[in-house]
Amino acid sequence: MKNFKLHGIVLVLVIIAELIGIHQFKVGVGVIVLLPMLYALIFGIFLAPKFLNVVNKIDMQDAGSLLGITLMLLMARYGTLVGPTLPKIISASPALILQEFGNLGTVFLGVPLAMYFGLKRETIGAAHSIAREPNVALIAERYGLDSAEGRGVMGVYISGTVFGTIFFGLMASMAAAYLPFHPYALAMASGVGSASMMTAAVGSLSAMYPQMSDQLVAFGAASNMLSGLDGLYMAIWLALPLTERMYKYIYKFKYGVYPTGEDAAK
Amino acid sequence: MKIYNMIETLIILVIVGIMSLIGNTIGSKNGFVEAIPGLLILIAIAMAGIAMGRYLPGGIPGVAYVVTLGCILTYPGIPCADFINACMKKVGFLPLCTPILAYAGVSIGKDLDAFAHSGWRIVVLSCVIFIGTYLGSAIIAQVILKYLGQI
Repeated sequence: MKNFKLHGIVLVLVIIAELIGIHQFKVGVGVIVLLPMLYALIFGIFLAPKFLNVVNKIDMQDAGSLLGITLMLLMARYGTLVGPTLPKIISASPALILQEFGNLGTVFLGVPLAMYFGLKRETIGAAHSIAREPNVALIAERYGLDSAEGRGVMGVYISGTVFGTIFFGLMASMAAAYLPFHPYALAMASGVGSASMMTAAVGSLSAMYPQMSDQLVAFGAASNMLSGLDGLYMAIWLALPLTERMYKYIYKFKYGVYPTGEDAAK
Repeated sequence: MKIYNMIETLIILVIVGIMSLIGNTIGSKNGFVEAIPGLLILIAIAMAGIAMGRYLPGGIPGVAYVVTLGCILTYPGIPCADFINACMKKVGFLPLCTPILAYAGVSIGKDLDAFAHSGWRIVVLSCVIFIGTYLGSAIIAQVILKYLGQI
């Protein structure tokens, strides 16, 4: 908390990043959006002893333990984004609300693959959800972002930030072209991630079905707002416990024993 | 991981709040002073939520209280909702992320080797997770829309 050098450095990073501003450019069918937060992240990494050697071990540790609290400010803003739209969400189709359980698909696909790759406790952070801000805040609070679980969730979060938008744009057009889904169902599914992922996915769908465009955008936006709220509750009460349990059984299957020591749940 | 007491927590929130204010002024069209009420409200919500997470029984993480409080206070019809919504309009969501990710970047420097080690695996895993979540939601939506006769 009293590490003023660290706060000073972060302030400089924030100013530089915001001065550079938002840039976006078209790549094929999608759009790549570069946000100030991404520059701040990358500059921050480059201050490490390995590169520019501006920060030392203590600064890096302090930054890690501060993260959990700094995220709360963002989460408060998140809540105030969802609040005004709640009546609209509540009155929406039950399909919109129930499709949120699709988030559990993440766990069933993600956990086995992560463990096949040899990840251990990283699996819990990486595969319990699609790793947007509320999930990062949750993992930070429960395990700390400087833990293996924290590394997992940050890895997927950063991947999503860097190429999530273009990935969702492409995925939506592929699913619409080759899979037997109604565009409404795909639009509702578009809201599972960040707002920019949703915009890209709904954008692709609208381009393919211009006559349904308004409805597709409305479904996507409503689903996105809903995910912001119940995605968190779902992670706390369903996805995280399920991930922990699957982790334990697959660990036993793969290594012959239940996880102990560093690999066990804390 | 270090656990901060409530006073330290408040100081950290104020420090990050000031940085967000500066970033908000540079990165959006909002003025420095007009964003202050919004940020004070956000700090109050965060403090209240963190305290509830720590001191209320049930083991519900503070982050859930913080988001829920934010939701309730801005729900249309709640007496203070219009005022809070007006304040929030001056505080951009993206500028709030910038200082947080700067701290994250500095912190990641410590685990670069671990990240490099799991790097490509995490990227592939991320793609699978995106596909899994998207298709999982689409399948449920499709089944229910069909059942309801809405498609």
